Amino acid sequence: MTLTSPAPTSTADSISIRGAVKIYGSAPSRHVALANVDVDIKRGQFVSIIGPSGCGKSTLLRLIAGLEEADAGTAEVFGVPPERACAAKMIGLVPQAPALLPWKDVLGNVSMPAKVNRRADKLRRRIHGHLERPAPDMLDLLSKAGLTDAVHKLPAQLSGGMQQRTAIVRAFGVQPDVLLMDEPFSALDEFTRESIQEQLLDIWDENKTTVVFVTHSVSEAVRLSDTVLVMSARPGRITASVDITLPRPRSQAMLKTAEFHHFEDVIRDHLQTAWQENPMTGSTPIPAGAAS
Amino acid sequence: MSVLKRLGFLRPAYWLPLAVLLVGLGILWSVTAKDSPYLLPPLAAVGEALAANPGFYLANAWATLAVALVGLAIGFVASFILAVLVSELPLARRAIMPIAVVLSVTPLVAIAPALVVAFGFGPEPKLIVTALICFFPILINVATGLRSVSPAVLQVFTTLHASRLEMLWHVRMPSALPYLFTALRVVFPLSIIGAVVAELSAPGAADGLGTVISVASSNNRLAVVYAAIFCLAIMGSVLLLIITAIEDRVLHWHESRQGATS
Ligand SMILES: Nc1ncnc2c1ncn2[C@@H]1O[C@H](COP(=O)(O)OP(=O)(O)OP(=O)(O)O)[C@@H](O)[C@H]1O
Ligand SMILES: [Mg+2]
Repeated sequence: MTLTSPAPTSTADSISIRGAVKIYGSAPSRHVALANVDVDIKRGQFVSIIGPSGCGKSTLLRLIAGLEEADAGTAEVFGVPPERACAAKMIGLVPQAPALLPWKDVLGNVSMPAKVNRRADKLRRRIHGHLERPAPDMLDLLSKAGLTDAVHKLPAQLSGGMQQRTAIVRAFGVQPDVLLMDEPFSALDEFTRESIQEQLLDIWDENKTTVVFVTHSVSEAVRLSDTVLVMSARPGRITASVDITLPRPRSQAMLKTAEFHHFEDVIRDHLQTAWQENPMTGSTPIPAGAAS
Repeated sequence: MSVLKRLGFLRPAYWLPLAVLLVGLGILWSVTAKDSPYLLPPLAAVGEALAANPGFYLANAWATLAVALVGLAIGFVASFILAVLVSELPLARRAIMPIAVVLSVTPLVAIAPALVVAFGFGPEPKLIVTALICFFPILINVATGLRSVSPAVLQVFTTLHASRLEMLWHVRMPSALPYLFTALRVVFPLSIIGAVVAELSAPGAADGLGTVISVASSNNRLAVVYAAIFCLAIMGSVLLLIITAIEDRVLHWHESRQGATS
């Protein structure tokens, strides 16, 4: 037993970003999207990122996914560079736009990941700490997402929310070790959103997936997360990290409790500070107090 | 409901405007032909020319069509391969695309006589002209289409570590289909123009509707000229119809078709 306990100092069991800097453009119109960002996300954690529009949330997500090269600093996913994690299909991405293939129906779209990079499973087994799982039944996942009736529909025949759910199922389907979700529920109504949140939590709990979740909704962040990272713009950086110590499972009733509101208020305060530093990108500052 | 919709073209509102215009044009034609027989032949004479010798027109139409389709096939294969190359290799793109754009606006009609001088009166110059005429619209459209994939889709497939070949086959090529069909709708009728231009520039050529036209017009046989032109118009229209029908089937998923159906 003692032999299998994890080494405490290694980064092999976390997503770790060290001193990440990302700069877009050059000299005259330089934009610092990320300035010296450090992030540590342990395996199995649910972490949300919240912050004003344009503060670099998507950029940070792309960095973890290996879609963006940092200008300085390092990114590692469970001890390997993001590119290797991708090669092993350890990362599931739900981008800000649903990004479905318009010529494939819903089932075709969610089955697509299985058709590319078939060597991934072999690579995966070699990466430390990876949990092997049986391939999921796509129809079952689709029905859990409420898409049973849409299985054979084309993306153009779906509502925006259905497209988002399809993109989520597509990401779940690869059984990733890390799920990167960029405002995945933005096009859903409140009740659909809550039901999908519950399903996400179920899947997260079942599979011990690590989730990095970008959102603009404070209550969504509190309900879902172990930790909420608050970001601020110009330059993009993490200004606060709030641990949500509410017990799980978090029921519908908990949303109305004082503890829940307490966490919401803490995050809202952090957000407001972040916002007041940069009221609107480029415009004149608004006097303190006017922004409440 | 859907039967009624499908038979919609039977309703007068559908065909009456066209029929009226055609009758009007026919009257105008007949009046002109009567006044100045060197401008236009009487419609009846054109009909007679066709009816007197249908085998003649059919054989020559077939000769022209064969050149058009083979040239089209050659142009298609060559331009598609080059389009893939150009979209996959930025270096090739920077070298080839400017040349392609310049060549595509060069009137190929002007190249045809030079090719006849170079390759003689056999099928080669005709096929080259036809292939060239079809080449650039396909190249430019498909090269654009292959690169029309949205960044978000690319990101999803990059995180899955899809190989370039998988990306090409599963993502880029289907994305390029609407662009390809836009080109094909232009190029199918254009292939006939290419074949006819080549025939017209090769005065010794044996057959083809272009040859029929050049021989008949030097003999002042206007009715035959217009009979051949009529055949060409029909051929072009049929090709356009065929490609549009194929497009409807292949691109049924495309946004432009979603509103109309279901
Ligand atoms: N490819 C790019 N080229 C230039 N600038 C970019 C690029 N991508 C992002 N940026 C800039 O970097 C900043 C951060 O962008 P990012 O998309 O990460 O913001 P975000 O926090 O996700 O915003 P939102 O909540 O609106 O999605 C923005 O100011 C944006 O203008
Ligand atoms: Mg974003």
